[in-house]
Amino acid sequence: METSSKEEYTIQSFDLETQKLLKTALKDPGSVDLEKVSNVIVDQSLKDQIFSREAGRICYTIVQAEAKQTNGNVFRRNLLNRLQQEFKAREETRKRSTQEWVCLVSFICNIFDYLKVNNIPMMALVHPVYDCLFRLAQSDALQNEEEVDCLVLQLHRIGDQLEKMNMQLMDELFNLLRDGFLLQDLSSMGRLLLLEILEFRAGGWTLSETAQKYYYSEVTD
Amino acid sequence: MLPYTEGHWRGLTYTRQQFVREYENDCKPDENRNKGASRWSHCRKRGADGSLRKSHAVEEPGKCSQSSRRPESFTTPESEGPVSRVKNWGDEVEAEEMRSNVQRDMHRYRRRILEADFPQRDRKISSGSSDSRDSRDSKESPAKGDIETDEATLIRRQKQINYGKNTLAYDGYIKEVPKHMRQPGVHPKTPNKFKKYSRRSWDQQIKLWRVKLHAWDPPAEEGSDVQQIEVIDLGEIMDFELDVECSADTESKCPTSSGASLSLAKDSFTGTPKKMMKIEDTEMS
Repeated sequence: METSSKEEYTIQSFDLETQKLLKTALKDPGSVDLEKVSNVIVDQSLKDQIFSREAGRICYTIVQAEAKQTNGNVFRRNLLNRLQQEFKAREETRKRSTQEWVCLVSFICNIFDYLKVNNIPMMALVHPVYDCLFRLAQSDALQNEEEVDCLVLQLHRIGDQLEKMNMQLMDELFNLLRDGFLLQDLSSMGRLLLLEILEFRAGGWTLSETAQKYYYSEVTD
Repeated sequence: MLPYTEGHWRGLTYTRQQFVREYENDCKPDENRNKGASRWSHCRKRGADGSLRKSHAVEEPGKCSQSSRRPESFTTPESEGPVSRVKNWGDEVEAEEMRSNVQRDMHRYRRRILEADFPQRDRKISSGSSDSRDSRDSKESPAKGDIETDEATLIRRQKQINYGKNTLAYDGYIKEVPKHMRQPGVHPKTPNKFKKYSRRSWDQQIKLWRVKLHAWDPPAEEGSDVQQIEVIDLGEIMDFELDVECSADTESKCPTSSGASLSLAKDSFTGTPKKMMKIEDTEMS
């Protein structure tokens, strides 16, 4: 199984030895220490913002490769349990480093997006993901552009899937966002990001052409 | 601190307190011996005295107390069923996958039954679930509504099937004998988890199936036939030794896992007692 160029690109942020480990894991998962591989991936995704948004694909490929080769799911199990640990410690992580916190959220959401069970998202992750998003929708987080940016990114990517899994929570989340938008003292960028996501959901998780033009085209004066 | 406060059993995390509580719920004081709480009490539909046990949800012990949820969580998870106190995501997702696979298998099986009743085209050999292919048993042909649908049961059965399929013997078997070449009675056939069977009957079928599979265990250098004969011989020897020497020593070179299986192996290949006979018939198509 050739490593696709997309995966190649993603793992370039690792040192050469780790790159080799990952490549082997993708092709011959039975021959590597999958627990180590999952730790390497999680560690990196907490440090590297770009990786945290794309690591899901690599994880998916390894899971499939392992299932096919040995019928096992050692990698997935280790990955999820490690992720759970990080999730439990998220509040401390957030206090320590916003960047790490934001990476964690991106990674969890990316995993939710890619690692499906018989093409259905993992139910075990639904509440944890919502927990993260709710945290990002709290007033202290909304003041922080980095966190708002993370929040809207996740909603763009997996909002519709999350809503299908639990409509009520999504409604509650958006109530918070609407309140935040109206009542809070936000930066203009923060306000813009929130407005866009409110419209995005209202439009059925897609942006109308006019909205697209409004938010994303350059204004030439 | 209790020396053993949490046990891992079949992928569940189970505190001693819960265990004791359920044991107390189960036992009447004067029937301790017969309904003793062993680790496997929950698996048994009946206590040793034959009476039906209070049934528990098979997979998860007790109810989840949501108070264990951290206060800073914003979401109140609605459980899909009884939830064990401490859950890790790895186990949860595996359980989800098991449930989802079983549901998918059930849909496929239902379609297959319908096709069998109303054949519309030449039957293709599908590559889908191979456990429950046969819907043509004249004796046990399930009416459309008459299949096992209880999820907990199906999951339990599937796990037992998985244990059997996860063996080198099974790997060797399917490589050696393509499905369309299987001869009923000679070649082991995976029990059909969708048919209605009693717990005992099902467990018995699984045992027999696994014993038959041992014929394809790897150490056999001379091929499967010799292995089969070996099993029979050992069985006879074992019984003989037990009769003569009253020896409790059941250590054996036989690949089967228990003394009970040994005599089954012997019985199923040399002479079939009535009880076994019935099951043999059901197994065959």
